[in-house]
This record gives sequence, structure tokens and C-alpha cells, in this order.
Amino acid sequence: MGVRFAFTGGREGWGRLLLTAVGVGLGVALLLLTAAIPNVLEKRDERAAARMLFTYTDREVSKGDNTLLAADATTTYREESVGGALLQPEGSRAPVPVGVDKLPGAGEMVVSPALKELLGSDEGKLLRDRLRYRVVGTIADTGLIGPAELLFYAGGEGLVLDPENSIVVRIDKFGSEDDGSSDSPLDPVLLLMVLVVFVVLLTPVAIFIAAAVRFGGERRDRRLAALRLIGSDSRMTRRIATGEALAGAVLGLCFGAGFFLIGRQLAADIELFEISVFPDYLNPSLGLAALVAVAVPAAAVLVTMLALRGVVIEPLGVVRTARPARRRLWWRLLLPLGGLAMLYPMIGNGRDNGEFNEYLVTGGVLLLLIGVTALLPWAVEVVVARLGSGSVSWQLAIRRLQLSSGTAARMVNGIAVAVAGAIALQMLFTGAEGEYTEYTKNDLTRAQMQFTVPEDVPLASAVGKFTETKGVRQVIAYSEGYVGERRKDSQLFSSVTVGDCASLREVATLPSCRDGDVFAIKGAADDDATAKLVELGRPLYLDPSDSGLPRSTEAAWTLPKDLKQAQPRMDPTGIERGGFLITPSALPAHAAPAVTGQLYLKLDESVPDVRDLVRNTAARIDPLVEPSLWASSQRSDEYENIRVGLFVGASCVLLLIGASLLVSQLEQLRERRKLLSALVAFGTRRRTLTMSVLWQTAVPVGLGLTLAAVVGITLGTVLLKMSDIPVSVDWMSVLSMTGVGALVVMGVTLLSLPPLVRMMRPEGLRTE
Amino acid sequence: MTPAGSLLAAHDLRKAYGPTNALDGAEFSIHPGEVVAVMGPSGSGKSTLLHCLAGIVTPDSGSILYDGREMATMNDAQRSALRRSEFGFVFQFGQLVPELTCVENVALPLRLNGTGRKDAERTALSWMERLEVDDLKAKRPGEVSGGQGQRVAVARALVTNPRVLFADEPTGALDSLNGERVMELLTEAARSANAAVVLVTHEARVAAYSDREIVVRDGRSRDMERIV
Repeated sequence: MGVRFAFTGGREGWGRLLLTAVGVGLGVALLLLTAAIPNVLEKRDERAAARMLFTYTDREVSKGDNTLLAADATTTYREESVGGALLQPEGSRAPVPVGVDKLPGAGEMVVSPALKELLGSDEGKLLRDRLRYRVVGTIADTGLIGPAELLFYAGGEGLVLDPENSIVVRIDKFGSEDDGSSDSPLDPVLLLMVLVVFVVLLTPVAIFIAAAVRFGGERRDRRLAALRLIGSDSRMTRRIATGEALAGAVLGLCFGAGFFLIGRQLAADIELFEISVFPDYLNPSLGLAALVAVAVPAAAVLVTMLALRGVVIEPLGVVRTARPARRRLWWRLLLPLGGLAMLYPMIGNGRDNGEFNEYLVTGGVLLLLIGVTALLPWAVEVVVARLGSGSVSWQLAIRRLQLSSGTAARMVNGIAVAVAGAIALQMLFTGAEGEYTEYTKNDLTRAQMQFTVPEDVPLASAVGKFTETKGVRQVIAYSEGYVGERRKDSQLFSSVTVGDCASLREVATLPSCRDGDVFAIKGAADDDATAKLVELGRPLYLDPSDSGLPRSTEAAWTLPKDLKQAQPRMDPTGIERGGFLITPSALPAHAAPAVTGQLYLKLDESVPDVRDLVRNTAARIDPLVEPSLWASSQRSDEYENIRVGLFVGASCVLLLIGASLLVSQLEQLRERRKLLSALVAFGTRRRTLTMSVLWQTAVPVGLGLTLAAVVGITLGTVLLKMSDIPVSVDWMSVLSMTGVGALVVMGVTLLSLPPLVRMMRPEGLRTE
Repeated sequence: MTPAGSLLAAHDLRKAYGPTNALDGAEFSIHPGEVVAVMGPSGSGKSTLLHCLAGIVTPDSGSILYDGREMATMNDAQRSALRRSEFGFVFQFGQLVPELTCVENVALPLRLNGTGRKDAERTALSWMERLEVDDLKAKRPGEVSGGQGQRVAVARALVTNPRVLFADEPTGALDSLNGERVMELLTEAARSANAAVVLVTHEARVAAYSDREIVVRDGRSRDMERIV
């Protein structure tokens, strides 16, 4: 009968059912999306593994007509990765990568559709200058990880296999010989972050679903009262209510499946943080989808039964709610305390690659967050009971909250949970970011990019090309290597830096300097070897060999008699460099191959696309050597992306909850239409009623967000302690997340004001 | 024309809701201390007449004079102020604020007029005593019976010493015994305060408490005496 009621309630009934179904549907779609994530990751891993150039095998591949030489030519364009490889077949049966019909010839390339589009657009102009190959084909979807992936395979020319250098490899097939999955466990802190992100973003969704099945609850109660009048007992009415909720939830499941399928089709056009997916990746795992299909209707029934627990449905259309029993604190505290108890044993486990128990982490975080929903009604009840009376609007609001604090708490529960989770995650991310920034010391004021000069390129030529590049302010050039006391298997190692006086002054304090000088840096941190090598007073060897490895340069070099001393200073990489400093003419010609050129580039960041201009110059020098953007800056960008992503995700969840809040708010106002009209009739100012509605929202929201901040900071602290990261509260995150929460609620209240004003019209008094 | 000495008078009132003419040239007048019953079948326009007279609804045309002032010239704030200070209301349903206690409900109009809480509740309690519901002061409307609630509503309507009391089917939801008691208390209290009472009802039993009756039919009003 309940199901029939759900579908035969006239226009209003249909509206209520639709609202519930859309609400539940949105939640279900999000849950299905989450259920599809393991499959997405698996598919992406499979595709990536299937086209690997490195086969991770000890098997020697000898040259044949079924082999090719391949080199990774991945580059970066506008801080987005452009995957690429140079392929040079050694015979007619050379393997072809997945998604490609035919290997491109020299000077040709095949590209992914997204790269083709980019290269054809104005935005891709600089990349066209870098990838100067003729496009002869498109890589099919089967060869791509995602539809927005930027990938190319270009025909190689002059690639040579170098046993000392693995840039060029010989392969007889693409793809790793293992299954592509990594045996190394996921970094524990990363695992913790992933688990917490899931719990934090999904818990509010569950709360949203619970709120959605209660849409129209008060009208339903009145209808049930009418049924009582004609003889239905309270158990029957509960069954009918359950049936009605079940109908809404099942329709919501259908809607959710529909939303998910529509979203799945749209997924191909969406790219987030350089990740795009093909629609066919988004297949929820059967078990998880079945769990959603069972859990959502079950939750609907459970929520309805709980909601009816405090309601006495009597005949004559009267639904009297007696003053509710005083809420008890003890069992409400059990939830967050239980959560803390589950997390406590894992404190410090992030240290030294320890492990986290996934179930304990999920359970602990879940209990802490659910604890917010248990504690909030108690907190609202206790606080509003102590609030004194003030103006009429305040009195109306507080009295209403005192009478139905549960409704008010329910309205902000979702927001509070989302905010608490987001605060905890932001703390975790900020803590992790802080750790990393401490670890990297690159001095970004002195250089922002670094380029390793290939062996066959003269250092001066590379310096010249970068100096001429627009946006490069300064090129600090060195040749770097190592020196040992023996030709082979040295025990003492010290670094060697070759450069002109100006460049050497960037890495040490020199007393005086002219070409031909050699310096030993005295007193650099972690460098005992240099002093010992000086004391030995015998020939040293640049680039000494090691047993079991191919022979190195082993260039003999004698320290000059007039060896000067230099004092250490921070070099551009942020370390105190030790070892020997050699001006160019002091390095014997035979020792030149023993050192590798390194360029540190200081950029004028105001020049548009300066990093890509540098990368283009590098590609002209050698397409297989990409200059690196200094780590601290790059890392910080990644963290910023994650933080922005979390902020966006949390804001979306908050908006979703805001939508349900608006529906509940409007429903409550509609229930009070007659009363509002009566109050206006006997002269109540509209401002008084509006302020009363605002207070009714502001008080529970204030309490909810305070509780959310306390729980969020507690959870964040525990997570940081678990990860062994020093605890610090990121107040900006706390403020921004609570601010967003407050904004959503205020927005909802503002949106509900026009209907409120309409409902205050005297027409509400009319009965005919 | 306005009858001499009338406190509230309406002339040629017209009001339409869409295609339905709720009032079609209705006339009305009431003197201080007088109880006038407005009778008529459901949908005849009697509630609309009450809403127009009380300044809740603006008529499409016609004039309403209250104490010599034309209500059509008043803006919404002025009409609200008038309802707060000079008028009192009793409706059939939904007038008590469920979350306020009975004494807070009765004190509400005083508080809206700016009276302090304690003073307002003291005055409210004295009216509750007159209407024999002072023992309900700490209860909420959901915890009292229909008749008790209606008496609380009458106390609230009279607490500001209004010059006109508008009662729209005040006993519509009550049994006859409770209805009669409410009417006795209402008319007694109004007369002792010299308040005029506009009593909308379709029950002759309730109308019997009035000094005069008018009938509204198809949006037009007629004095009962003329058709008898």
C-alpha cells in the first residue's frame, strides 16, 4: 500500500517522490562512481603496462628483424606531461605499439587525438616547434590510457644502444613481462590519504541519501494519520511508511543508475589533474554495485523507522509529538571515542614505511565522523536549553529549536560531517606538504630549471643556446664528476666541479680566482673525503671504476702544488658542496669525458611560457633529455593541486548537501504556511519572522561548525600523528572550510527567503 | 455612506480571486462595543470580508474607514501596525505558535508592540485567568485540548485591549459545549473592554451571541433584519 501511495499521490505526491528519487539518485550515482574507481585504476594500469618500453626482464634481447630500438621522449608542455617515444625498427617484424597500425618512419609521428588537437590549435604552437615530426596517423583508443592523454610515437633515427646508459633500449615487444602491477606496497601515508578521502567524501553522501528519503515526511505523517482514522494500527502505518520510503529509494536507484550512465558518457570529455578516463573504464565492480543496490533501500527503510520512532501518529489527522526524552551523552560519546580507539594503535606507523590497517583506518575515521552526527543533536539540545530569551525573533527561533532540536541538527549534520572531514584532510595534506618542503632545499631565487648536457654536446655550445633563449636571465654552467684515490674500487670519493670563476663563486666562497686555479673546499658539511684526498698527495682518478661494472673513464689527475682553499657556501641546489673546484684550463684534456655538464638556469618568470621556451631549446640540443623543473616548486604544485581538488570535491559535496537542506527548509516553511500567515495577520513584522528563520539556521549551524572544527582538528591531529608528521593546525584551512560550510547554509537560507515572504501573505489564511 | 458613530465601516467592497468574485459590492459597519455576526454559507465571501476589514487583504475597490481613516491609503507597515495595536484575531486553526508556551503565545502581541517580556507575560497571565486557562501557562499548544487552545487564542486576541476583535469561525473545531464556553468568555471579555467584535460564522448558535447579524451571499452583504 505504501508503494501505491508513493505513486498515486497526485501532483504533489509525484513531486515528493521525484524529489526523493533525484536526491537518492545523485547519491547513488556518486556511490556507483566510487565503486567504479578500482576498475578505472586497473584498466589504466593495464593499458600503461601494455605499452611499456621497459620490459623489466633479465632476458637479453639481441638484434633481429623482430626488434626495435626505443627511447623515452616524454616531455612537458605547460606543466602537462606529453608522453612520447622514439622508435627505430631493426627489421621488418619489429613490434608495433598497441593502438598503432604501422611504425612511423624517420621524421614522422603518430599522435593521440588530444595531442593532434593541441598541435593543430594556437595553444600548441610552442609544442609544434618542439615536436617537429610530420603527423602521419592517430593512435587508437586501445593504445591510450585516457581520451585526453597527450601521446606520440615518432620514428627514431641514429639511436644507439649504450650499455652504460639506458636511455635507448632494444625490445622485441611492447609491454612489461610481469602483469604490470607493482609489488611494492602503496606508501602508507598515501594509502591513509586515499582511505580518508573516500570516507570523508562518501559519509556526507550517505547522510544526503538519508536526508533525501525523508523529504515530505511530515505530509506523509498526516496521510498516515488519516489511515489511522479508518482503522489502520500503528504497526500497519509504519509498514506503509516503510513501503513508501522503499519506493522512493528504489526509484532513486533507477535514477542513480541513469545519472551514472549519463555521467559515464560525459566522462570522456572530462579531465581532472591530467587524468581522463574512457567511458568503458567506468564499470562498477559487481560486488560493490550490488552492495549499493541493497544498502540504499535498506538505509531508506532504517531511516524511516528511526524517523517514525519519535512520532505518535493518531487518528483525526493529528500528529502529536510529545516533548522528546532528554538526549543522553554517554552512548553518543562512544562513537568518536571508539573511532579514536581504533586509530590510536596506528600512531607512528607512517614512520619507516610502516603499515596501516585499512579496516581500522576506515572504521576509525568513519566512527569519528559519524560521531559528529550523534553528538550534534545533543549539543544543540544542551546549548539551546540554556539560551535565554531576547527579541521576539530570537525567542521564536530558540523556542522552535528547543522543541525540535533534532530537526535542526539533522539539517546541518551533513554539512558538519563534510567540514570535519575536509578540515582533517587539509591538515594531513598541509602537514605532508610541510614535510616535503623541509626536505627539498633548492634555492629557487638562484635557478629554476636544470639541464644535464648530453655527453656528445660541448658544454659551451649548450650554454650559448640557452643564453640566447628568451626569458633565460642567467646560465650557471658546470661540469661535474667524482674523484677517488684509486683507479678502481676507491674508498674515498669527493666531488669535482669544473666551471669559470663566476660560476664557481655560486658554489663556494673563493679568496681570489683566475683561470687555471684549483680549489679544495674546506669544512663543507658531510665531506671528510676531500681533506683526506689532499693529504694523500698522490695522483687521483676522475670517474673511477667499480668492480662488476663497465670500465669508467678513470682519468688520472694530480692535485696542483698551488691548490687553493675555498670556503663552503650554499649552492643553487641548496646544499653545501664539498670537493674540488677546477677552472676550465686546469682540467686536463683527457679528463674532459669524466665529467658531465650541468646547467642551472635562472629564468625571467614574467616571460610567457618561459619554461617551454627552455624545453624547446633543450629538445633542439637533444630530444631525449628534458630539463628538470626544480623539485620544491614542482612538488608544491602537486600538493596544491591535491588541496585544490579536495577543496573542490568537498565544496561539491557541500553543495549537494545544501540542495537537500534547501528542500527540507522549504518543506518546513510550507508546513508552517498557515501559522506564518496568522502571525502576519495579527501584525507581526515580516522582518521579525525573517530574522527568526535566520536565527533558527544560524544557531545550529554555528554549533555544527564548531563541533565540526573540534572533530576535524582532532581527526587531523590523529592522522598526522599516525603519519609521524609534526602536528600543526592549518587555521586557514579550518577557516576556509567552515566558511564554505557557513556560506552554503547562508545561501540556502537566502534562497528560502523569497518563498518565506510569499508564504507570509494573508492568502495563506484562505481555506476555500 | 458611513453610518454615524461607526468605528469600522466598509462601502461597496469588491475583491476577486481569479475569475471568482469573493466580494461584489459588500457593505459593513460596526460600532464600539458591538458584536456583529457575519453569516453565510461556505465560499460566500465572509472570510474575505473579514480579511479586508482587518487590512489583511487589500480590496480591489471600495472603501474601508477605520476610526475615520481610509485604510486604502495606508501602506503595509501602517496596516500591520494597526493590526498589532488596535485589532485582535481569533482563527479556527493554526494560530498558536506550537513551540511557544501558552503564556508566551498570549504575550506575543504585546512583545511585538515592544513591551518587555516580564510585563507582557504578567498581563498575558491576567487574561489567561479571565479565560480560565491560567493553569496552562507553561504548556505548549500541542499539549492542550482544542477548547483550551481556543481560549488561549482568545486571550491572545484580547491582550492588547484591541478596539476591534476579528473572530473567524472561532468555534469551528470545537464541540458544542466547548464552543459555547469560548463564545461566552469571548463576548463577555470583549464587552467589558468595549471592543467591537466581527464574528464570522455559519452557525446560528454562535451568531446568537451577537447584537446584530449580516448575511453574505455571492459576495454581497445584507443586514439580517432587512430580509427577515
